[in-house]
Amino acid sequence: MDLTSLKAWEMKEKIINKEISCKELIEAHIRKIEKEDPDINAFITLNKDEALRESDKIDAKIKNGQDIGLLGGLPIGIKDNIVTKNIKTTCGSKMLENYVSPFDASVIEKIKYNDGIIIGKTNLDEFAAGDSTETSYFGPTKNPINKNVVAGGSSGGSAAAVAANMAALSLGTDTGGSVRQPASFCGIVGIKPTYGMVSRYGVVPVSDTLDQVGVFGRDVKDATLILNSITGYDKKDSTSSKKSDSVVSLANFKEDKDYLDGIKIAIPKEYMDLVPADKKAQEQFNTAMKVFEKSGAKIEIVSIPHLKYAAEAYYIIMTSELSSNMARYDGIAFGHRAEEYETLDELYVNSRTEGFGNEIKTRIMAGTYALTGAQNKELYQKAMRVRRLLQEDYDKVFASYDVILSLTSKDLPFEFNLTENNLIESYRANIYTAPANLVGLCAMSIPIGNVDGLPVGMEITGDRFKEENIIKAGLGYERAVL
Amino acid sequence: MITKDEVLHITDIAKLKISDEEISPFIEKFDKIIEFVEKIKVVDTENVEPLYQVNEDNYLLKDDEEDQILNREEALQNTKEQKYGYFKILKVVE
Repeated sequence: MDLTSLKAWEMKEKIINKEISCKELIEAHIRKIEKEDPDINAFITLNKDEALRESDKIDAKIKNGQDIGLLGGLPIGIKDNIVTKNIKTTCGSKMLENYVSPFDASVIEKIKYNDGIIIGKTNLDEFAAGDSTETSYFGPTKNPINKNVVAGGSSGGSAAAVAANMAALSLGTDTGGSVRQPASFCGIVGIKPTYGMVSRYGVVPVSDTLDQVGVFGRDVKDATLILNSITGYDKKDSTSSKKSDSVVSLANFKEDKDYLDGIKIAIPKEYMDLVPADKKAQEQFNTAMKVFEKSGAKIEIVSIPHLKYAAEAYYIIMTSELSSNMARYDGIAFGHRAEEYETLDELYVNSRTEGFGNEIKTRIMAGTYALTGAQNKELYQKAMRVRRLLQEDYDKVFASYDVILSLTSKDLPFEFNLTENNLIESYRANIYTAPANLVGLCAMSIPIGNVDGLPVGMEITGDRFKEENIIKAGLGYERAVL
Repeated sequence: MITKDEVLHITDIAKLKISDEEISPFIEKFDKIIEFVEKIKVVDTENVEPLYQVNEDNYLLKDDEEDQILNREEALQNTKEQKYGYFKILKVVE
C-alpha cells in the first residue's frame, strides 16, 4: 500500500491505531519527494533530518500512551514565505536566498504544538506575487496532474506537494486567490479563511489588509483538520480577531448529515458578463449546480454591482501595500546586498535592483505610482472607497444567503510562459477570487471535475467568520458526488 | 502616456534602477497598467468613506510588554557585515 496516497485523516487514524509508525509515514513521503520532486519542483528546501527526528518523538509518544495533537505525525508542507527558525525562508526570491529567521511564525508554533511535522518549504511566485509560480527565483513548479501546465500560484508548491502526495497537508498564503487558484489547478481543496482568523505573525507581508494564511488538503475534511489547528487569536498580530477562536472545530461537523438540504445559495451574475470563463469549465460548474439543486439547495442569481471594479481596486490596494512592504529590503539588516556601491543610496538601489525579479519591480513601481502625488487620492483612496461599496454589496447578499458559488478560476490550468503577454487579462481574472480578500470573506476551492484531463475547481464563498457555512457546503457536495 | 522622466521619478522614490534599454518596454507595459487601474475613476464614491480595515475589531494598540525580542546575535544573524555587535554600513556623516 502506498501510504502517501491516503487522506491525511486516514494517515492519522492509522498512526493512532498503531497500524503504521509515524517514521514509516515520513520515510514514505521522503521517498516520494526524492522520486517526484526533481521534476515537479514543489519544494525549495527539504527538512528531511528534522522531520525524521520529529517522527521518532511522535512514535515515542504513542508508545507511551500519550495523546497526540490534531496533526499527529502528518507531514506538512509550508509555503516559503512563512518563517521557520532553523530552515531557510526565501520567499522565492534572490533577495532572501540565504535568509534564516531567528523565530518561528505563530502558525509554525501551532503546527508543532499540534504534532505536525514540517517536511519542507514550498515554492511560490517571488514574494507571493503571481498566479503561476513562474516568477520564483528557484524555477517554476509543474502541475502534478499534467506537467505541461502550471500548478497555479502563488502557492503553487504547496498545492503541487499535496496533489503529488509529497505532503499530506500544506500551508499557503492568499492575497488575491493564491491558495484557491492553485488548489483548483491541482485538483485539491484549498481554504482562505476570514481575514483575522489566522495569525500572520511571521508571515512575510505582501499586502497587509489582504494577506491571510490558507490551507490545502485532499478533501474538505483534510483541509478543515489543518485549518482547525492554526486558527485563533494571537496577540502578536494586531489584525488577528478574537472572533477567530474555535470557529472551525472539526467536532462541529457530523459525519452523516445532509448539509445541502435547505442551504441558500447565491450566484453572482456579474462573472459571466464581465470576464466569461472557459466554456467547458462553465459546463462543469453548471453540472455541480445540478448536484446542489437535487440535494435540496435553494439557488438564486444575485447581483454584486461593484464586482465590475474589483480587479482594479484589488490591483491598486495590493500594489500600494506591496510597495510599502518591500521598502524593508534595503540590503542592511538582512537580504541581498550588492557587491558594488559607493554611497549608502547606491547600496540600497543596487541591492534592490539585483535582488528583486521583474514582476516584483513592476508591482513596486505600480504601487509607488498609486501612492504618490495626486494619484494617492485618485487611485489609492478611491480604491479604498470602492472597497467599502463592495463590502456593502456582499453584506446585502449574506443577509439572505449562506454561501456564494462560482468557478474558482475563469481559466483551466495554462501552459508555461503565457502570463507576461496577457498581463492585464490575468489581473482581470482576479475578480473570481480577489473580492474575498478585499472585503475579508472566507472562501474555499473544491474540485468538481475536469476538462481534457485538467482539473476544474468551484469556489464557495462565505461571510466573515462563517467558515462553518463553506465547510458544510463543501462536505455536502463531496458526499453528494461520492 | 507616462513619460521617461516620470518613470525615473518613480524608480528614484522606489530605490530601483532602470537601464536605458529597459525604459521603453517598461513604459509600454506601465501605460497598460495605468489604463487598467484608471477605470476605477468612474465609480461614484461621493460620501463613501475609505475602508482601510475590513474588520471592526482590530487591536491596533497593545500593551507594552516585552514579548517579541531578538537578542543581539539573532538580530545580526542575517546581515552581510557587522562590527562591534552593530550592523555595519557606510559612513554617512563626514
